Amino acid sequence: MFSASKIFKVGTLPKNTYVNFLKSLYSLADSMNLYNIIVTFGLIPSAYAKLKCSMNNALLRQVVEALPDPAAVFDRQLQLIAVNRAFAEENRKLLGFELTGGDSLQKICDACPHLAELLLNKWRRALEGERFNTVLAFGDPPRHYQTSFSPLCAGNGQADMVMMVARNVQQEVEARENELFFRSVLENLPVGLHELTAEGWHRNMNGALRRMLGADHPAAKNEPYNIFADPINARNGLNSLLVEVKELKAPVKREMYLHYVEEVHDNVTRIRPMYYETTGFPVLDAQGNITCLFLILNEITEKKLAQLSLEKSERLLQTIVEHLPVGYIQFDNFGFIRRVNQTQRRFFTWQEPEGPASTALHHDPFSKLFELDRLFAQVLQNGKMVRLEKKLDYLPGQPGTGMEGEVFLDLTMFPVEDPVDKDRIVVALVNDITEKKRQELENNKTHEFLTQTGELGKIGGWEVDMQTRTMRWSAQTYKIHELPPYAAMTMEKALSFFTVESRAKIEQAFKACMERGKAFDLQVTIHTARNNILQARTIGKPEYRNGRIIRIYGVIQDITEQYKIKHQLTRNTELMRLFFDTIDMGYAVMDKEGKVNFINRKAQEIVDHGTVIGKNIFEVFPMLVGSTFHARVQQCMELQAPVSFSNYLPVPDKWYEFLLAPMQDGNISIFTRNITDSKKMQRELRKANEQLSSLNKYLVNQNKQLEDFAHITSHNLRAPIANMKALMQIMSETDGEEEKELYYNMFQEVIRNIDETLNDLIEVVQIRKDLNVEKERLAFADRLQKVKDILLVDIETSGIRITTDFTEAPHIEYPRIYLDSILQNLLTNAIKYRSPERRPALHFQTRVEDGGIVLTAEDNGHGIDMERYGGKLFGFRKTFHKNKDAKGIGLFITKSQIEAMGGSITAESSLGKGTKFIITFRPE
Amino acid sequence: MKPLKSIFIVDDDPIHQQITEIMLHRLSISEAVSRFSDAQDALDHIRANMHDARAMPDIILLDLNMPVMDGWEFLEAFDAVRSTLPSKIKVYVLTSSIDEKDRERVSRFTFVEGYLTKPLSKEIILQLAQ
Repeated sequence: MFSASKIFKVGTLPKNTYVNFLKSLYSLADSMNLYNIIVTFGLIPSAYAKLKCSMNNALLRQVVEALPDPAAVFDRQLQLIAVNRAFAEENRKLLGFELTGGDSLQKICDACPHLAELLLNKWRRALEGERFNTVLAFGDPPRHYQTSFSPLCAGNGQADMVMMVARNVQQEVEARENELFFRSVLENLPVGLHELTAEGWHRNMNGALRRMLGADHPAAKNEPYNIFADPINARNGLNSLLVEVKELKAPVKREMYLHYVEEVHDNVTRIRPMYYETTGFPVLDAQGNITCLFLILNEITEKKLAQLSLEKSERLLQTIVEHLPVGYIQFDNFGFIRRVNQTQRRFFTWQEPEGPASTALHHDPFSKLFELDRLFAQVLQNGKMVRLEKKLDYLPGQPGTGMEGEVFLDLTMFPVEDPVDKDRIVVALVNDITEKKRQELENNKTHEFLTQTGELGKIGGWEVDMQTRTMRWSAQTYKIHELPPYAAMTMEKALSFFTVESRAKIEQAFKACMERGKAFDLQVTIHTARNNILQARTIGKPEYRNGRIIRIYGVIQDITEQYKIKHQLTRNTELMRLFFDTIDMGYAVMDKEGKVNFINRKAQEIVDHGTVIGKNIFEVFPMLVGSTFHARVQQCMELQAPVSFSNYLPVPDKWYEFLLAPMQDGNISIFTRNITDSKKMQRELRKANEQLSSLNKYLVNQNKQLEDFAHITSHNLRAPIANMKALMQIMSETDGEEEKELYYNMFQEVIRNIDETLNDLIEVVQIRKDLNVEKERLAFADRLQKVKDILLVDIETSGIRITTDFTEAPHIEYPRIYLDSILQNLLTNAIKYRSPERRPALHFQTRVEDGGIVLTAEDNGHGIDMERYGGKLFGFRKTFHKNKDAKGIGLFITKSQIEAMGGSITAESSLGKGTKFIITFRPE
Repeated sequence: MKPLKSIFIVDDDPIHQQITEIMLHRLSISEAVSRFSDAQDALDHIRANMHDARAMPDIILLDLNMPVMDGWEFLEAFDAVRSTLPSKIKVYVLTSSIDEKDRERVSRFTFVEGYLTKPLSKEIILQLAQ
């Protein structure tokens, strides 16, 4: 940098030279951005004059030399006038030759042919007064220079020199290119980039992010957008990530589910979650303050989904393996146990190994015990599955296992190629078959036992292998069939020993056993090899393995002896039954309590009740308890002597003669015989009675009436007569006249009483006697009107309302006097026994029923307690009310009049509601 | 002979009541004679005085054929309460009925002391007092 004082010293140029120089200097300063300095310098008026004088080429050279940037001055002939060291240096470096005074610009042009024209062109135009400032690249590799061409004017104002200043801008050019490059790189990066202010305001983003956010996003539209203010970011974790970045002032990376896209496939919209690997990092200034925040979003949806589904299938597989009902052990290529499922863990009370390094099975004593090491090597070498049953005998408390004693294992080992690292691994499946094995051994033992004990109980064993259809017999079975032991046996041959009937039974049972697993227990008949006939019992059962029937096995027992005894017994019982069934007498045996042990057909017929054998007769027929029969049974047992009696059984309606005989064993024999025939007389009498009664109910009525009269005589005539007797007695024993007068009056009263009763009776007797009283056609309405006329006063005083409905049967053929009497009695009753609580009412109605006429008279009076008085309602001199008028004769006469004509009268009543009399006249 | 304290005559026939009462008085076998025309009234009286032995009769002479409540109903109702009575009451049926069926039916009421037919004779009255 030159100073103003230095310029003072050289300031002796002529005025025009000075002005030109100044102009040149201005242009120089302009070209070199030193304008201010020059101007400052130029603003000192006193210096102008001195500079004007001292300006010459030498000075020019000095000035050029003083310039910091490479500078060179060429004249109109392209001759180099002045060059500074910087220019010469650069020239040597870039173009490879020394630039000396008098060298032509052409030389540079030759060195840079691609610039030659441009340089010369600029040169020429600069000489014409133009100024240029342009970036040119020199050399190889090209170096960029901001090259300015400035005319230097002589005194005539004509430019006679051109100063070329070339400032090295290589770095700036490179920086600019780099920035552009990076910008385009960032713009086209496949990851999203977001530049934010420290406060979260959107500043810049790249294309990938714009695509992620969509064109509608405010940031994409360059609207103000603060990432912290976006509510979605509070939820998806973006905010917390950025907060963490700000706090740590360090990058933070996280996998996030930021948004989703909707994909439409054939009317189905699927939500596709979008996962991102999100990195946030801060940009710090020199003081360590955050100047901006960057977010990098890398979409990893595919990866994430794959990872998730992998995890899922992994989990599924793990769950399946874990819950397999067989033990599962997975070894890696080196024999280390990598996975053990719970069955296996339970099986071996396996402990989770502490630390990652479990023992390789070559060194594990436990695996050696199982020979797992050997098997492992074999499987890995041959690449084939191995399956075997192993019997292990544990000592109690042996480490690594919860087993004790004999254990049988079904062990399957097979190689698997790990789908990821392609390693060959080995899986072992362990199944505890101890129980099954024990069962098998037990079966074998049972077989053996059967063979041994078969001799005693004449029980032989047999089995049919369902796969091979071979038949095996035990020695005893051969013996039963009277065959030499261990002769070859087939199903067909075995079946040939049965009788046709038994064979059919056996074949059927075998079929059912094979198809449905039905066990059988049959009694069969066998023709032995020596043609003896045996009774045998054969029992068969199926055996299954893996759900398939593998054999049918069982036993055969010679039960001929038992059969014979049983047969004999049955025959004896049968004979006895036959005997007792043939006799025309009921026979039964029962114990003390009444339980029937035997009963023959006849007796069974008599009791006529399902099965009684084995049951208690007094429970089957509870009505027998306390009966004559019961009493006699007790008598028989008490006396221990035979008891005979005859008894009528109402259910079969028969007479029976019984003989009860005690037996030695404490039971009682009962013999019974139907003696109904001998009771013929009674039966016929009853029959006659029945016929009589069914033939003529009228006669029965007569009977009943006769009884009524007997009763009436007994009660109603005897009472006053008894009073008279008593009166006579007490009268005879008194002397007092007053007393006698009293008794006399009482006599009068009694006699009046007798007279009244006799009159009533005579009336009734008259009715009953007068069966052929003349009938005539009467209208109910007419007769009722007649009665109403007679009872006019009573009707008026009682206020009774009488209604009628005789439409269905308006007429009847009946003795007029009776019908009048009946209607009058009904009406009188309704008035007499009216209720004081309501207006009395009586409704007469007639209808036709079963060809006869029915008259009903329904009142709303006191009503009668039918339960209490129903039986006496129509009795002679029966009253139920504390009514002074009640004489108890009206209804009796009514009844007599109705019954005399073959009809009947009944009543329905409820207390407090009223009474309904129903009169059924005999059909004509 | 110590006279009885009380006799109830239960009968709907006022003449018979009167005659019986005269006969009982003449023989002086009871200090008091009460008459009931309705068995229900007699029963109500007994039920109402269950705790008073003095209100109880020594003897009841019961007719059978009566309105409202007859002798049979009285016997059934009396049977139900007699065990809780403060003193023993002798019940005699006194009826004009000579019907065997009635006599048989009365015999089923085991507590009834006797079946008497009207009219009462002096001898029978004297037997009652013993």
